[in-house]
Amino acid sequence: MIAAEDEMPVGKRRPGLMRSPQFSSLVILTVLLAVFAIADANFLSPLNISNMMAFLPELGIIALGMTLLLTAGEFDLSVGAVFGLAPVVVMLLVQNGGVDIGAALLAGLLLCIAIGAINGLIVTKIGISSFLVTLSMLLVVRGAALYITQGFPLKSWDQPGFFVTLLAGSFNVGSFRFYTSLWWFIGLSLLAIYVLRYAKLGNWISAIGSNRNAAVARGVPADAVKVWLFILTSVLAGLAGMISAFRISAASPVAGTGYELEVIAMVVVGGTALTGGRGTILGTIVGALMLRAIRNGIVLIGVPGLAYNIFVGLIILAMLILHALLQKNAARG
Amino acid sequence: MEVLRLQNLQKSFGSVRALKNASFALKEGEVVALLGDNGAGKSTLIKAISGVFPIDRGDIYVRGEKVSIRSTRDAMDLGIETIHQDTSLAPDLSIARNLFLGREPVKLKWLGVFAPLDFAKLRDAASALLKRVGISKKLDADALVSTLSGGERQSIAISRAMQFAAKVIILDEPTNNLGVEETHGVLRFVKEVRDAGHSVLLITHNIHHVFQVADRIIVMRRGEIVAEQTVADTDLLTVESIITGADMSALLKETRAK
Repeated sequence: MIAAEDEMPVGKRRPGLMRSPQFSSLVILTVLLAVFAIADANFLSPLNISNMMAFLPELGIIALGMTLLLTAGEFDLSVGAVFGLAPVVVMLLVQNGGVDIGAALLAGLLLCIAIGAINGLIVTKIGISSFLVTLSMLLVVRGAALYITQGFPLKSWDQPGFFVTLLAGSFNVGSFRFYTSLWWFIGLSLLAIYVLRYAKLGNWISAIGSNRNAAVARGVPADAVKVWLFILTSVLAGLAGMISAFRISAASPVAGTGYELEVIAMVVVGGTALTGGRGTILGTIVGALMLRAIRNGIVLIGVPGLAYNIFVGLIILAMLILHALLQKNAARG
Repeated sequence: MEVLRLQNLQKSFGSVRALKNASFALKEGEVVALLGDNGAGKSTLIKAISGVFPIDRGDIYVRGEKVSIRSTRDAMDLGIETIHQDTSLAPDLSIARNLFLGREPVKLKWLGVFAPLDFAKLRDAASALLKRVGISKKLDADALVSTLSGGERQSIAISRAMQFAAKVIILDEPTNNLGVEETHGVLRFVKEVRDAGHSVLLITHNIHHVFQVADRIIVMRRGEIVAEQTVADTDLLTVESIITGADMSALLKETRAK
């Protein structure tokens, strides 16, 4: 990826790379990992790394979609709720409806597409801010998950088979234990890097977020692109929800609560601008690793459980201040 | 050679008749200034030509052929490029990416929107273009637009219109918010554009600029074209009085007497 980074079209300013948001995030991630590793030897143990890697893809996959959406200048706050609803619907269809697991998964996929499409169409066609639209959608979707389950978690699909292996199979590398979801995350990350940086679509996404009117004036179908990005984000949230439900063999109607903010934190900590126009998938991967490491590390080093959101919040805040300062510096230079 | 002809264009928004029977023609290689007070219908007219919204009634001819313009894409495909002060460029993208926005050179075209950009072509074409329009000495095709000055941005936007061999380039208030030096740069550039054979429709509030670059002046008032004159045949005060609709003939005589 480093070689590709050097060839990037907006690059040609090697010195700037050192001050790019991705780079500063990477430095901070390294520092954090070092601090945690020194503070507690168990942090880098195979078991702990395996644990982190099991969680990482679930939020990371959603963060990829969110990065593209934020780059185009929109939000999606309903991802955590979709993460909860998709597996609940699939499992209800299988357990109460007697539907085949494959067909049920397809129904879950269609549901996610529908939620994303509704978000996107209301935002683009009626012109309501995505913050408000997806906030309402969060309540609707979460409420639906609670109502159809009557608030009780469902036992998930635990019979081994094609779909479980596909989404939540596990394998060992030495003393590390990884899930297939890691492959999903890596594959989707590469795809997202390609789209955002190298494809025509990526040029459109950045342009839409940077100056929508300019993009529209050049004939870029801004609304259609946004609707598809909402659909993509929703589908990725549903996929992540299925992966999680299969992995822990349970589908809870409250799964994914608060994930929307955690995912947005990952994305902006990685250097993607909340205001659109500037997005980086590499930064998001670093951001996802960072938030995962923070959550894991501060528990390991003995921060009291109830205090740990204080630290997570403070570290995110520090990251954002750093980005803002770098941005100011870059503008002056 | 007539490049663009508008015949009896009409457009209403609800009960407001923004455009009543607007007709005029634009010849090859001329700069026509479109003047008028706020609300005179200038922006409605250019939005109709550039495909932002459809007209209610009337005909548009490009090179003698009747056309229908239903989208900005239609207008661009017909060779009509519109440049607005604030809406032309995406600041977070490089100059090269902006120059080809919406018309990106790609490899593997069958991949549609997922097709990879042809970066070599993108950069070469951008550099060649910047050189041709004489702004290569300072600007790098890979520089972000956000690092450019207002005048440089205008020049980039106009170059982009030229690169697609636009027949008609519409400039909407190109010198707004520009410094004196930069304004002259842009006006000089407008002349170069004309000399390269493009027709320019210039919308501006500044009558002084009009007299520096335009060949002809069209004045709009309340949705109608109220005057059409060559610059050589008129003067600043006359034009000003037509725009405001006030009777300035007395003042005019007084001035001339002096």
